[in-house]
Amino acid sequence: MRPFAYLRPTTLDQTIAALADPEAKPSLLAGGTDLIVRLRRGHLRPSVVIDTKGVRELRPEIVSVDGGLRFGARVTMTSIVRDARVREHFQALVEAASVVGSVQIRNRATLTGNICNASPAADTVPALLIYGGVANVVGPSGSRSVPLAGFFTGPGRTVLARGELLESVDLPFPKVPVGAAFGRITRRRGVDLATINLCGLVSSDGTARFAFGAVAPTPFVASDESGALAASGSDHVARSTALRGLFARARPITDVRGGREYRAAMLEVMTGRTWQLAATRLRERLRAGSS
Amino acid sequence: MSGEKISVRIQVNERPFDLEIPSHHTLLDVLRDDVRLTGTKECCAEGECGACTVLVNGEAVCSCLVLAVELDGQRVTTIEGLISDGALDPLQEAFVSTGAVQCGFCIPGMIVAARQLLASNPNPSRAEIQEGLAGNLCRCGGYSRILDAVVLAANSRR
Amino acid sequence: MTTPDWIGRSHERIGARDRVTGALRYTADLSFDDVLHVKLVQVGGARSAIRKIDRGDALKVPGVECVLIADDLPQPVARFGPAFADRPILATGETKFFGEPVAAVVAKTKDAAEAAAALVQVEAEPLPAVLSIEQALDPASALVQDVSLRPKDPLANSNVLREWTFGWGNPSEAPPDLVIEHDYRFPMVTHFAIEPHVFIAAPDANGVTIWTPTQHVFVLQRVVAAALKWPIAKVRIVAPDPGGGFGGKGWPKFEPLLAVLALRLGRSVRLVLTLEETFQQARRTSARIHAKTGFDREGRIVSQELNTDFLIGAYADIGVRVVSKASYAACGPYRTPHAKVTARALLSHTTPSTAFRGFGTPQASWAVESQLTEAAGLLGIDPVEIRRRNLPRKGEAFIPNDTPADGDWASALASAERALDWHSPLPKNRGRGIALGLKSSSTASASQAIVRLHYDASVSVLSGTSDMGQGARTVLAQIAGKELGASPDRVVITMGDTAIVPYDSSTSASRSTVFMGNAVIKACEQIRRQLQTIAARALGVDESAIEVVPGEVRTPKGAMSYAEAMQVGLGPPRGEIIGVGEERGGGYRPEHPLGGRPEFWEFMCTAVEVEVDPDTGMVDVTRLVLASDVGKALNPQQVETQDEGAATMGVGHSLMEELILDGSGRIVNLGAMDYRIPTIQDIPRELHSVLIENEDGPGPYGAKGAGEGGILGIGGAIGAAVNQAAGVKIRDLPLTPERIWRAIQSARSELP
Repeated sequence: MRPFAYLRPTTLDQTIAALADPEAKPSLLAGGTDLIVRLRRGHLRPSVVIDTKGVRELRPEIVSVDGGLRFGARVTMTSIVRDARVREHFQALVEAASVVGSVQIRNRATLTGNICNASPAADTVPALLIYGGVANVVGPSGSRSVPLAGFFTGPGRTVLARGELLESVDLPFPKVPVGAAFGRITRRRGVDLATINLCGLVSSDGTARFAFGAVAPTPFVASDESGALAASGSDHVARSTALRGLFARARPITDVRGGREYRAAMLEVMTGRTWQLAATRLRERLRAGSS
Repeated sequence: MSGEKISVRIQVNERPFDLEIPSHHTLLDVLRDDVRLTGTKECCAEGECGACTVLVNGEAVCSCLVLAVELDGQRVTTIEGLISDGALDPLQEAFVSTGAVQCGFCIPGMIVAARQLLASNPNPSRAEIQEGLAGNLCRCGGYSRILDAVVLAANSRR
Repeated sequence: MTTPDWIGRSHERIGARDRVTGALRYTADLSFDDVLHVKLVQVGGARSAIRKIDRGDALKVPGVECVLIADDLPQPVARFGPAFADRPILATGETKFFGEPVAAVVAKTKDAAEAAAALVQVEAEPLPAVLSIEQALDPASALVQDVSLRPKDPLANSNVLREWTFGWGNPSEAPPDLVIEHDYRFPMVTHFAIEPHVFIAAPDANGVTIWTPTQHVFVLQRVVAAALKWPIAKVRIVAPDPGGGFGGKGWPKFEPLLAVLALRLGRSVRLVLTLEETFQQARRTSARIHAKTGFDREGRIVSQELNTDFLIGAYADIGVRVVSKASYAACGPYRTPHAKVTARALLSHTTPSTAFRGFGTPQASWAVESQLTEAAGLLGIDPVEIRRRNLPRKGEAFIPNDTPADGDWASALASAERALDWHSPLPKNRGRGIALGLKSSSTASASQAIVRLHYDASVSVLSGTSDMGQGARTVLAQIAGKELGASPDRVVITMGDTAIVPYDSSTSASRSTVFMGNAVIKACEQIRRQLQTIAARALGVDESAIEVVPGEVRTPKGAMSYAEAMQVGLGPPRGEIIGVGEERGGGYRPEHPLGGRPEFWEFMCTAVEVEVDPDTGMVDVTRLVLASDVGKALNPQQVETQDEGAATMGVGHSLMEELILDGSGRIVNLGAMDYRIPTIQDIPRELHSVLIENEDGPGPYGAKGAGEGGILGIGGAIGAAVNQAAGVKIRDLPLTPERIWRAIQSARSELP
């Protein structure tokens, strides 16, 4: 690894100033599980690494906010997997977070890091998208909120401008009962990066929202309001058509993890399976709720 | 910019170490080269193999993915820190008796990861053990003895 | 007095405690004062003409001691290799494979070496590279090796380094009822020992010492001595226990370079490869095997014709031996009335292929076992039964004029059949496969051992065997303990230092228990004879009056322990008793294609059940059974864990491992992130190991060797199971989910 300067700011303002410094080539360090790899491979050559772990405004906790949960910038995958509220309300996010690497990775990797690294195959992003996650961005010009659906602009690229960082991510509680599930295809059963990944959410109002990763330059979300993807009573043919419509935007490529045709075929298989699981979970939830 | 060193104090196996280290050296580098504890091994250096697993504040992490300078004031436990009074703990004994150890290079990382698994889940199922050790690669063995060792250690603690 | 029998017990592995505490020092853990750090410089791509190397900026980095290039070396640049001295110490004129270094930077710190290495500017022009079997055989392709390296070789103007024809009978004279003929492919895979390669060298008063976790200290010693043009005695190799070898740490790589650096600088130098660099330096020989098997309608083999083309790397390494040894026995453990095997070792601009557990047999077995399974299907014969019908009986020659079948192989087959529950109803989406693996053990080789009985009857054993995870120390301590009546806790094994241990050919071919074990036994016999002599002299009786058994010297006046006998026999001046043993097996036979007959056959029956998800191609190995014919398991736990480890490694090459090259020969999946090996989540749900022990081996107490059996037939077994479960016929490994899915799609599109 090439040497770099190391800063450990204690306030958000210091962090933003360091990030925005025009003389510097800064990289933010949270969990390090992506950054250190890129530094070692020489893909990134920052002049300064800014460690966020001492910044008092960047929190490691998941807190309740009005109508949802706020995930602080330093929330790790392990915290997500263990949190009872997340398990209750955002089941697909728990499933996604629990396959990000190994336990060792999850103990360090942060949700915001996974988002800002912006790999098209990031496992947590499809989950955040189906739940309507919102990024709370801070920077030199103040703060702004960006729906995650509009956050990614290309492989490894986000809307964050120079000097901006993610302070937290909000997930609103679903307003009606939902069932959600995460699915992915890998090359082996063990720890792996996704060949494709996706999340599906089926709502008791008959709508559905799906998000797909690793099949386009950025993860993308697609909804169906027609009712064809309702958990019960929908027609099999209409459902198949509606499911296929969800990933019409996919542009899978061939790379070391998989071929284009295989990815396209797996999209179809996994979308169907994920819908089944999400729909089953919704039906179970409704049954439980009504007893 | 290059070569500037940073002073940190890191507690390793309950002993404080005052270190002056370059910011780009990982915890793995520093443990092996500066603190001179070579039990933690380097293999992939990218967090994929688990050979470098240590505990930071009680949590299993890949030391190759942590810059040593991040750990000022923090506690690190390595494989060497697991023995007390020269005696093996039940997990280490179990690894020996079940035949889980062959060449041994993966073993320190494996044991540290298993340690944390048992600390947070004292009676894990086989599937839970597999998930807890999913980040530790072994090339000599078939993993089944490692599974047996963790089960044996879990049973012996109860 | 009876001594406990240490043989056949799963004695605690010697060295296990040091491994679970982190106390064991592997080579990279060794501390050297003032050591200099080496970083290698490579160019991208497989083959490049080196036009110019500019070291100016690199040399300016503070702490850099030197940047060595081929031009700095005495010309012509020395070449080395265990079989052919074809590999230059540093690439000269041209790089021949992706990862071949063109310069070596030496600096006071790792950081300085790394920084300087990045500043070495190499002008290199990519050249067309030979990267596949087809390209190697194409007369229009470039020659990988310069013709001047192979004077008098009629094949010098091709990329065929060597070719062989083995066989007997005449396949064309034997009309079969059924012919199965297909091509099978085995991928390029890498060892991925968890310990990457490391090399340290230092000049010393006698010459040079090299520390490296090599499996074969004496091979390395002679190769380095030859490269330096030095007497063997001046080169000392110290090999700490490897963190996994599997063949990848057998044969010389950068040791000659490090020796040269150490001698030039007069300092100790240390090179630790990254995992990516390690992948670039060693791999298994990949293969394309054309198999044409003739059967009668009862499923008996009438003829086998095999064309085995193995793609070796840019340098021969031990690749030629892999090809000849595996091809010679490629027909497998079957009665084959007519056989013709033509084999070729093909050079390519790729990572030097070297020994890798199984030594070519997994590749051959993949083809031959798949053929048998297919024949079984077409003839309506059970796959177990078809093998049973073709298995030679114990004592029967199945390769003319060679070591006959030396085990009750049918019982291994039956054990596996039972353990897998072969005949139970098969659930949907599941398949079963069975395969036999047969590997020739060591042919002509030699092991010597020195055993020292100390004054207190504790024992030291000096052995050149490498303990790389298979537990060699433990087995040798058990043997010495049994022979001398000592607890293995009172036996200390010293290995891995050519200045201390006597000659051993290698730790390979599953040979060490047999060869080194027998050498230790012979050394112990010498010790017992010497005890007999000194006891007789001390007591003033004839030697015939003294009987020496393990642990006890029986005299007319009563029995003594060994310690008492030495006190009586050696007196106050003290001393020790030294025994030397040597095992050379059947010896070198120049007329034999392999230089000698296999000392024993390593035989394993592998049976497996899998479940395939027909929509995604994902495979779940639900049950794996291994039945190996080991003669005598001196330490059953160690044998079982070796078999399990070998099988797991085989699951890797069967389902997920493959080095992927781009058009320029660059390996695109270097490192752990994209080269997938089995994790703890990829293992079979159930695993059964059966050891067949008939004490019918040439080794200690009837032992044969073990350690490779598990990887020999697993491809054929998993392939058969997957093909059955998915309804496909895939003949190329690995069977990745995508490949299985594609085959399912093809099969479906062929349905009416």
